[in-house]
Amino acid sequence: MPQPAPTVGIIANPASGRDLRRLTASAGLYSSTDKASAIQRLLAAFGATGVERVLMPTDMTGIAAAVLKACAGPNARQQHWPKLQLLDLPLTQTVADTRLATRRMVEAGVALIAVLGGDGTHKAVAAEAAGTPLLTLSTGTNNAFPELREATSAGLAGGLLACGRVPSSLGLRRNKRLLVEVPEQQLSEWALVEVAVSPQRFIGARALSHSDDLVEVFACFAEPHAIGLSALLGLWNPVSRQAQHGAWVRLNPGAEQALLAPVAPGLVQGCGITASGILNPGEPHRLSLACGTLALDGEREIEFAACDTPTITLDTCGPLTVDVEAVLAHAARHHLLAVPRGHRLHPATPC
Amino acid sequence: MSTHLSPEQLLHAYEVMRTIRVFEERLHVEFATGEIPGFVHLYAGEEASAAGVMAHLRHSDCIASNHRGHGHCIAKGVDVYGMMAEIYGKKTGVCGGKGGSMHIADLEKGMLGANGIVGAGAPLVAGAALAAKIKGTDDVAIVFFGDGGSNEGAVFEAMNLASVMNLPCIFVAENNGYAEATASNWSVACDHIADRAAGFGMPGVTIDGFDYFAVHEAAGAAIERARSGQGPSLIEVKLSRYYGHFEGDAQTYRAPDEVKNLREQRDCLMQFRNKTTRAGLLSPEQLDAIDARVADLIEDAVVRAKAAPKPQPADLLSDVYVSYP
Repeated sequence: MPQPAPTVGIIANPASGRDLRRLTASAGLYSSTDKASAIQRLLAAFGATGVERVLMPTDMTGIAAAVLKACAGPNARQQHWPKLQLLDLPLTQTVADTRLATRRMVEAGVALIAVLGGDGTHKAVAAEAAGTPLLTLSTGTNNAFPELREATSAGLAGGLLACGRVPSSLGLRRNKRLLVEVPEQQLSEWALVEVAVSPQRFIGARALSHSDDLVEVFACFAEPHAIGLSALLGLWNPVSRQAQHGAWVRLNPGAEQALLAPVAPGLVQGCGITASGILNPGEPHRLSLACGTLALDGEREIEFAACDTPTITLDTCGPLTVDVEAVLAHAARHHLLAVPRGHRLHPATPC
Repeated sequence: MSTHLSPEQLLHAYEVMRTIRVFEERLHVEFATGEIPGFVHLYAGEEASAAGVMAHLRHSDCIASNHRGHGHCIAKGVDVYGMMAEIYGKKTGVCGGKGGSMHIADLEKGMLGANGIVGAGAPLVAGAALAAKIKGTDDVAIVFFGDGGSNEGAVFEAMNLASVMNLPCIFVAENNGYAEATASNWSVACDHIADRAAGFGMPGVTIDGFDYFAVHEAAGAAIERARSGQGPSLIEVKLSRYYGHFEGDAQTYRAPDEVKNLREQRDCLMQFRNKTTRAGLLSPEQLDAIDARVADLIEDAVVRAKAAPKPQPADLLSDVYVSYP
């Protein structure tokens, strides 16, 4: 029985990819024009796989406007892009916009939300997405949670899954996350990749990219090929996304042995390692530092003082994400993208 | 770049921001009396930008400002008494009372001047940076301009020159959301002013201008980069002005509670006080003492400025050329 044509959401963070690491490292720029182009590539793939409608928030930087314009063009007609519906939400130009857009999409019952941003953007969407899966695309500075992938391929996988042509049990994976609690500040936040503990006293320009600024790193997962703070663990004590545990590492510039790690794009630094270990789900960890800042997924977000007692706890009930490789491998095995003569996208079908 | 600041540095930062705030709020009151000649454009609300950048500078580093220049002057160390007298058009002013608010300057402090021409400071600092490079000093030159200035050809030309010649130059775009009464999201073609840096082959970053520590950290990285011969950069500081474009601006283009909400939720002085006292680095009493000292300073500066003599016709030709008698 054919599935009803689904709706999917797309959220692109206009602010991602512009932080201090352009000055302190050699990070590149992902402009709004690039993001609008990536969304158009997603729409082409969604259209080809049967997605009927796409929800997108408006923004102040022209991303939605560029996509709306493209939707009226010849490519959209020829490739049967889904119908675009803009969510006209009040804009604050802060992370609150991302969170609100996610809530509206969940309320609208979207099959999944495609996210274009960095680790921070994905974290904000995941906090509101509940059980709605995420199709993750990296447009940030140094991302570990979203994989670097071409939007068209990712869109094909997302479209197949949204249309029910690939079973969720095969195409979705459950991620881990870290719960950061500071009871004295009534703070409870989630991180999707890692939490770094820094002696820097203030949030300041947010990004951390120097080994001197790191005392501890706790990670849900840490891949050897990662870029950013989780690379420290990835090259010392790697943990896969699928493993039930996480890992931590303690740093000190005076340590006997220093690990060379790519802590930011173009910035390979020696990081003195004094101890490391395993994070088990449900076990809260206290910090070795009395006061400083906590960087969640690469950006300082929480300042803590001597009167605070922050804890970090691994949790295995993080967001669902589309396993693009698994979905497309399944599609290949079952020729899911084969279309018969007469299909609107078959080459013999007149335009 | 470290944000490990000593208590003395933190107190100085607060005093600079507080001085700018009280100076501007007093001018807001005094301008309405009609005693102050010309126009004034107040910097209140944007203090973290000037204080965060200037904390890294010395007198031999040059800055060029725009029409909203009082905050830049104070943060660069220009004498507050001389500034107040200048704005009142008095002979004891830093420019002899002949510059006023929009042309206030103090070359000894490396303050090349406020500027009534939008974007005109950029070529000046490119020149100052070229001089530093030729002399072989490690001085830097910094221009402050707004979102309106970011659309000016002179700024683009200076950015191009600075990049081509690898000058120790920093372009600080203070994006307060409005070019006079025109919203920047309507009048600036690119999505972020910082993105314009890519077109000139230099790095560009966007920073929260309500947070002193964010500005201080980004400016420190850019200035360190420039001092070490790595060339120019662009910092977009996103902030807001608490008053109109000029005194007397009815501000019908702003939402009714826009400024009220910013003052209550994001004010840079409020954030600074909350952060430093909660961290246990400063005490409320230390900050209160600065508040009291600054209030006395500004009151005294106004009293003295009002009592000071005006320049005379014979003063007109002085200060026109460097060696003019």
